[in-house]
Amino acid sequence: MSALPDFKNRARAALADPVLKVAIDRTTGNAERKRAAAVAAFPEFEAARARGKAIKDHVTAHLDHYLELFERNATARGAQVHWAADDAEARAIVTRICLAADAKLVTRAKSMLGEEIGLPHALADAGIERVETDLAEHIIQLAGEAPSHIIWPAMHRTREQVAELFKAGHQPPPAAEDPATMVQSARRVLRQKFLSADIGISGANFLVADTGATCTVTNEGNAELTTTPPRIHIVTAGIEKLVPSTAHAFALLRLLVRSATGGEMTQYTTFHAGPGRPGDADGPEEMHIVLVDNGRTKMLANEFREMLRCIRCGACMNHCVVYRQIGGHAYGGTYPGPMGSVLTPVLDGLAASRDLPNACTMNGRCAEVCPVGIPLPTLLRAWRRRSWREGLEPGSLRAGIGIWAQLARRPRLYRLATRIGLPLMRLFGKGGWIARLPLAGGWTAHRDLPRPPARSFMDQYRARQKGRK
Amino acid sequence: MTARTRILSAIRTALGPGKPPAQIAAEAAALLDDPDAARPRLAAPSLPDAFAQKATALGTSIDRVASLAEVPRAMARYLDAHGLPPRFAMQPAPELAALDWSGLAPYPGIAPDEPAALGLALHGIAESGSLVIHSGPENPILMAFLPLHHVVLLREATLLPYLEDYAARLSAETVPRNAILITGPSGTTDIEGSYVRGAHGPGFLHVILIAEPG
Repeated sequence: MSALPDFKNRARAALADPVLKVAIDRTTGNAERKRAAAVAAFPEFEAARARGKAIKDHVTAHLDHYLELFERNATARGAQVHWAADDAEARAIVTRICLAADAKLVTRAKSMLGEEIGLPHALADAGIERVETDLAEHIIQLAGEAPSHIIWPAMHRTREQVAELFKAGHQPPPAAEDPATMVQSARRVLRQKFLSADIGISGANFLVADTGATCTVTNEGNAELTTTPPRIHIVTAGIEKLVPSTAHAFALLRLLVRSATGGEMTQYTTFHAGPGRPGDADGPEEMHIVLVDNGRTKMLANEFREMLRCIRCGACMNHCVVYRQIGGHAYGGTYPGPMGSVLTPVLDGLAASRDLPNACTMNGRCAEVCPVGIPLPTLLRAWRRRSWREGLEPGSLRAGIGIWAQLARRPRLYRLATRIGLPLMRLFGKGGWIARLPLAGGWTAHRDLPRPPARSFMDQYRARQKGRK
Repeated sequence: MTARTRILSAIRTALGPGKPPAQIAAEAAALLDDPDAARPRLAAPSLPDAFAQKATALGTSIDRVASLAEVPRAMARYLDAHGLPPRFAMQPAPELAALDWSGLAPYPGIAPDEPAALGLALHGIAESGSLVIHSGPENPILMAFLPLHHVVLLREATLLPYLEDYAARLSAETVPRNAILITGPSGTTDIEGSYVRGAHGPGFLHVILIAEPG
């Protein structure tokens, strides 16, 4: 998936869509309240967060060791481990396995890594029918859309819109438009697919090095139904998903679920270690695990290493004032919101996505709620710095900042300019606010500017100092 | 150069020289020292009470019985209360087959739209109200996912306090193909964040908690 450069146009369109705003508010509002309650009910949350951060940093610091350990143990359990340096290699590996097995129907349990490497399109290009089994992914597959959130991919759609999609896409259509009836309808339609699929593809929330198991969490139960009946199970996972042991996975799980949905545990936490064993009542004959780099080793070597801690909970976007106005699609990449604005420049290049790190108010809420302490605003600033250094910022901005820098380096000139500027600005003020100001239309179109005082801070300070003597 | 070599060499270039595996293992273990500092307290002092409290809060129903012999009657009660037929899918485990099922009709195997199934849990976890199920010759995984009503036998003696206590029992040698922690009935919040039960898995999860030591 690549970010289109016209972020501003997409954001403008999203802002003008009142239905989208309703849909975003319903889901993120719920998520914010539930997360707050879950954290309040867990007084050890801060200690757990420090531990989670330390676990992820430990794995990052010994990533080669853990990858090799995982490979050894997964192979010993009968899984076939594949390595992909980038998205194209990952797509090729999965497609090759599907074609070699002569697969006609593939079921997929939601995986953002699968979206990142463009798996849906690759399967379509190979002529393989792909059925998304997560309810939200099922909704957006019917709509022909990409996910707009990493936990609730269809959160941009209201129940009324989902009802329209199901009426057109389900045979027979659901009898009513309430969520319960629509969920039942999806259950019926997808059940036939689960049992007739040739291959099931899932992602992984964790890769457990000491057992060689992959761990996936779901609330619906679609992961097990995706991975059990077909002859082949394929897992695609980023190399940063490693944990030393099952106990380390649980320490992170306590943070992940509370931060994502406000629950304590997902309904299903499932560990897969290799294909079915001799005598097993069910399970696939083959298990393949595709370990994907796709920019992660680059992050290990640069200022974005801390982003490798991300456990994809979505709390940063649920609490982001920008995301909550424009939703996920406006960002244009696979991952939206604050974490997406850090990752998309890695995946799609900064030139195509330089607007994203700027679409941030630096209010810091994302970092406050991040369960593994990623300093997201600092990382976004790092992209802004790079964008400046690489000359990607537009000429008008560079010129404006150049002029300001000239002034700021000359204190007397700067004070003179403020002495001239302040009274001029005050001319446009009504009451305490300025509603319209020449050269500042971008600001005043959407909000007012406080009317400045008649004298600058420096002038007032000097006057007071004199008064004291 | 293979992708594997490229990835590992890029990592080693970024990280510099590595530490001996024994030292890495010791550091990893130290990260989990003092587990109580970073996990929630149990909901009640006794494990069965703590488990029952958590499980009930998540929508799991619980029937506490004294012994395994009482299970058929508890199952009949549950089927009756939900208007379900006496025929249900049952996990092919010898200890279940050995019970007196007169009046009911358990059968091995599972249909895609099975109304009810009865199975055994390997453990319960008191911290979270979770049931642990392992795949195996006597344990088809689909039995926990296809039925609308999933009834699970759990012995109090197999209850573990915390997630870590279960993790300690899993090693490369003991991990099954599929280990699942089931925490409440299947659900989704994918339509406007409103909670609906029975998304793909069972809409009803019922635990028969047996006090008698196994």
